[in-house]
Amino acid sequence: MVILLIVGSIVIGFMVGVLFLGFSRKIKARIHWRYGPPLYQPIIDIVKLFHQESVSHGFLFDFGILLSLGGAIVTLLFIPIGNIVPLHGSGGLLVVLYLMLIAPLGIALSSVEAANPNVSIGISRKFILALGYEIPFLLVALSVMTNYGTTSFVEIVELQRASHWGIISMPLSGIALLLILPVMMGMKPFDQVGAPQEISSGPEVEYGGIYLALSKIQHIYLIFIDIALFVALFMGGGSEPLTFFMKMLPIFLIVLLISTVYPRFRIEQAFNYCIKWPTIIAFLGLLLVIWR
Amino acid sequence: MDREQVIKALKDSGKWGHKYSFWVVYFCTGCGIIEIPPVITSRWDAERFGVIPVATPRQANLFLITGYVSLKTLRAIIRTYEQMPEPKYTVGFGSCPINGGMYWDSYNTIKHLDKYIPIDGWIAGCMPRPEAIFIAVTHLWTMIDKGMADAYKKYREQYKYYRRNQEMVLGELEWPPLYPIDEDE
Repeated sequence: MVILLIVGSIVIGFMVGVLFLGFSRKIKARIHWRYGPPLYQPIIDIVKLFHQESVSHGFLFDFGILLSLGGAIVTLLFIPIGNIVPLHGSGGLLVVLYLMLIAPLGIALSSVEAANPNVSIGISRKFILALGYEIPFLLVALSVMTNYGTTSFVEIVELQRASHWGIISMPLSGIALLLILPVMMGMKPFDQVGAPQEISSGPEVEYGGIYLALSKIQHIYLIFIDIALFVALFMGGGSEPLTFFMKMLPIFLIVLLISTVYPRFRIEQAFNYCIKWPTIIAFLGLLLVIWR
Repeated sequence: MDREQVIKALKDSGKWGHKYSFWVVYFCTGCGIIEIPPVITSRWDAERFGVIPVATPRQANLFLITGYVSLKTLRAIIRTYEQMPEPKYTVGFGSCPINGGMYWDSYNTIKHLDKYIPIDGWIAGCMPRPEAIFIAVTHLWTMIDKGMADAYKKYREQYKYYRRNQEMVLGELEWPPLYPIDEDE
């Protein structure tokens, strides 16, 4: 039963992530007054990448990308997708906090093996950004755990269903997480890591073929995880997967619209943004939760 | 996607992928690159054909050489071409890579690009309209369907010929041969 749930949630996460990605390309195109690619364009891309020749740069190059994909998938298993929580007995929010760093670490491990200078710049940018968003993210997680008195995702979702959504009982923390969501997802104002125009798509510069496909799949999972985290913590999860996805959609749309309109920050501007407003708001949210 | 296409895609998913997802290195060698921004942005929207620009040759499978090729850029073109993963397709854009165009008597431009790297197809004109790129892309679809877009295989088979031509204009090349060359032929 557990194995069935695990396979099911991996497949569902991939499908929904791909759908979101195709949807995002279509929406972006409509905003540019273009027609845009078909909705299933990301699937074509991934199928193509699996059929291409791929160049390896050594053992770590292969291992790191698998580690990153594995990290993303394992993180997914701890997050409740509606009522599907494959690994609900263990861990909860604390484990997710740790596991979310494995995917970027794997990418760093893998791509540095290729010894391209653009990779080093991209990786250093990734960890500067991570340093920036981890502080408000930890504060938000702390206020959620304090407010509900538990670290288990399932219990947090059930407590929200018993009273009201987390965004109402702790609005400041919700706003803080929403502010750092584009940073965590690496969407447009904060896509310094894989900036194609500056550093030739950063850590992905030496990826081709299967490596690029795995990296894209990992990215799809990360996008899914970040939005699902917000929905589970602040929007009451969902009683079934479908309502959960319906709640994910507006959050994704907000992030997407911001990313379509705004150009890219410089890395120090992004870092300053992260440690200024989201951190202040998250800290005030924590104070509010403790004070009540 | 109608039913016929679904069956085709399931039969040969690789071909389907290569056809509808061209990731392009637009090699900015000359004036031809000025036609590319309208192609990839709102006016002509290449993304509806699955054509998007990528930043590195490792991720690309279509190589668009826009404009005249000087000796200095030929070096970069060869290195870029050799880094692209197979299958890779090359299209020469404009009349300069075909036969030199208006630089036919210049001392430092290449007159026939297909002597140095294999080319799948040409877009003639000075300048070609952006629509010509779409004609090239759809033509490339037909060629991939029929298995005729195999210039990259030609590069492997006749590498000795191409390498000799490259060395003839560039002198000693500082990178090792991509494929083994047997010298005793």
